[in-house]
Amino acid sequence: MSSNSIKIDGKLPGQDTPATVATGATAGPQAFPSPGGPARNDTPAGTGPGRVGQGDLSLGDAEVDGRGGQGIGGREAFEATPPAADAATEPSVKAGPTGTRRKPRVPRWAKQAAVQLSAIAVLIGIWWAIAAAEIWPPLLLPGPQDVFHQLFVITGYHDGIRGYSNYFLQEHLWHSMSRLFQGAGYAILLGVPIGILLAVVTPLRWIFGPAIDFLRNLPPLAYFSLLVIWFGIDDTPKVTLLFLAAFPPIVIATADAVRSVPADRINAVRMLGANRFQSILHVTVPSVLPEVMTGIRLAVGISFTTIVAAETINGVPGIGGMVSDAQRFNATDVVMLGIIVIGICGLAIDGLIRLTDRLLVPWRGH
Amino acid sequence: MSPSVKEAVGAGTSRGPGTVGRISLAGIVHSYGREDAPVIDGLSLAIEPGEFVCLVGPSGCGKTTLLKLIAGFEFPEGGQVVVDGATVDRPGGDRAVVFQHSNLFPWLSVRGNVELGPKLAGTGRAERREISDRLLEMVGLGDAAEKKIWELSGGMQQRCSIARALATDPSIILMDEPFGALDAITRERLQDEILEIWRESRSTIVFVTHGVDEALYLGTRVVVMGGQPGRILLDLPIGSFGAETGGDVRRSIRDSTAFLDLKRKVRDTIGNPGKEED
Repeated sequence: MSSNSIKIDGKLPGQDTPATVATGATAGPQAFPSPGGPARNDTPAGTGPGRVGQGDLSLGDAEVDGRGGQGIGGREAFEATPPAADAATEPSVKAGPTGTRRKPRVPRWAKQAAVQLSAIAVLIGIWWAIAAAEIWPPLLLPGPQDVFHQLFVITGYHDGIRGYSNYFLQEHLWHSMSRLFQGAGYAILLGVPIGILLAVVTPLRWIFGPAIDFLRNLPPLAYFSLLVIWFGIDDTPKVTLLFLAAFPPIVIATADAVRSVPADRINAVRMLGANRFQSILHVTVPSVLPEVMTGIRLAVGISFTTIVAAETINGVPGIGGMVSDAQRFNATDVVMLGIIVIGICGLAIDGLIRLTDRLLVPWRGH
Repeated sequence: MSPSVKEAVGAGTSRGPGTVGRISLAGIVHSYGREDAPVIDGLSLAIEPGEFVCLVGPSGCGKTTLLKLIAGFEFPEGGQVVVDGATVDRPGGDRAVVFQHSNLFPWLSVRGNVELGPKLAGTGRAERREISDRLLEMVGLGDAAEKKIWELSGGMQQRCSIARALATDPSIILMDEPFGALDAITRERLQDEILEIWRESRSTIVFVTHGVDEALYLGTRVVVMGGQPGRILLDLPIGSFGAETGGDVRRSIRDSTAFLDLKRKVRDTIGNPGKEED
């Protein structure tokens, strides 16, 4: 049921006079559970909402048929026993004018997913059509089927060749993720305490604050060359790069969060007898958790976007290395597969962080 | 709730009444660093153990600042704050604060909030549990102990805040417009409950409020402050209307001549009638 009908219905019970009821054109008290509420069929007929004319007013659909019987009862309830009806249908009355009046047959998330999946399907269809038209040579624009084919090629043996550059796709991915987790992990482990320290010790903030701002504003590629000179071409410069990309946002988020903890919150724990260390442990740390989690999310995002750059030099195995290597051989389908895999992976990691956030900071927004 | 209050407060009190909870403010000057515009200038006030002092006055007259100075959240630029013979140099569990907005810790449950004070003091788990059970029962949150803070209504949050403040067995309770954000019915109920807590514990209470009615109803002494800079305009020992009667007769108290006379007097002093609630 669209929100249209919800709004139309929602207005009526509150505003309508009994005359409207008499016409049978509208409902009893707005006795409908909110969208996630219990199935309406459970509603006893006596207190059931009047459904008779519902279909006429809204986007009339099949649902109305199933409710004819209840409608009459609902009318009675409306006219005769408002208090009883109120009591019996309390939750829905609360939902009031803005509450939904009918239970959608298809849940909202399913609709959303359906729309989104169709959109993706359409997009792939367009891509396929353009590729099939060969406006550009397949070397530049392979079709979706070519990219999909590469998925199988790189995840297995093909013509005796193992994956891509002797590594399966999942191995490339695993090596990249391992670098990411190391880089971002160190950034979290060091960034949070350093952020707290900078917030608490003012001279330290004067000294290191600008340095961290400086670092944050540098494009990671700018110092990657230096890292290669210093650390060579193995994993060290890559992990360091990801670390340096993730570190400043975490420090800054933490330091800002610590400094913006309301004074009265600290006062509240100190009046309970806490010393300075206890007040940091029991109040500052949990207080800053929401902002720190946001900082971590941002930082992991930044270091994730840096991964391809980090793996341009000797990046195989690694998903970024795979992409930059494929680019050298004009293997456009592999490049595109790599991009898609990186994108999906990024979404997955972000989702994971958001899930952690929800578990760790259930009070966010309160 | 009378018996439970008696039991609850009595169980936590290890001292005799009227011995601790003495507050002495002498020549207080405080400006939050802006010496050209002091918030409080040369204020002195002595509060005896067991008094229920209500501070009234217009916004910005330094009531809350005074409370913060007693709590040890702020330190006076001039003068001295002495509590039970010792100059206040930090906040402490002997001076509990109930804030205007409950100021509870949202990452802790209702019980966790109440138990934090005893926990910081090194009280063992079983004893903490006993304290929180007792106090939550007393403030009517016995069934809400495991709830999240944000699941509580404003009134329940303030009850929890009171329970948290009582958990350290304070000799002084400082309340900064604790019921200001509550609806009238909840406020009246909590007023009577705080009176009951005060009667049983004989703690010293300093209660900041905007409401003259509230101040007269609750206090044994009403101190009217004026602003810019903050000073005491009127110091009125009133005996305690609500304290002696219980609160069942709230209406007749409010209509009594004595009450109305005092109310007029306080309002005239503030010079700002018509701004009161109730």
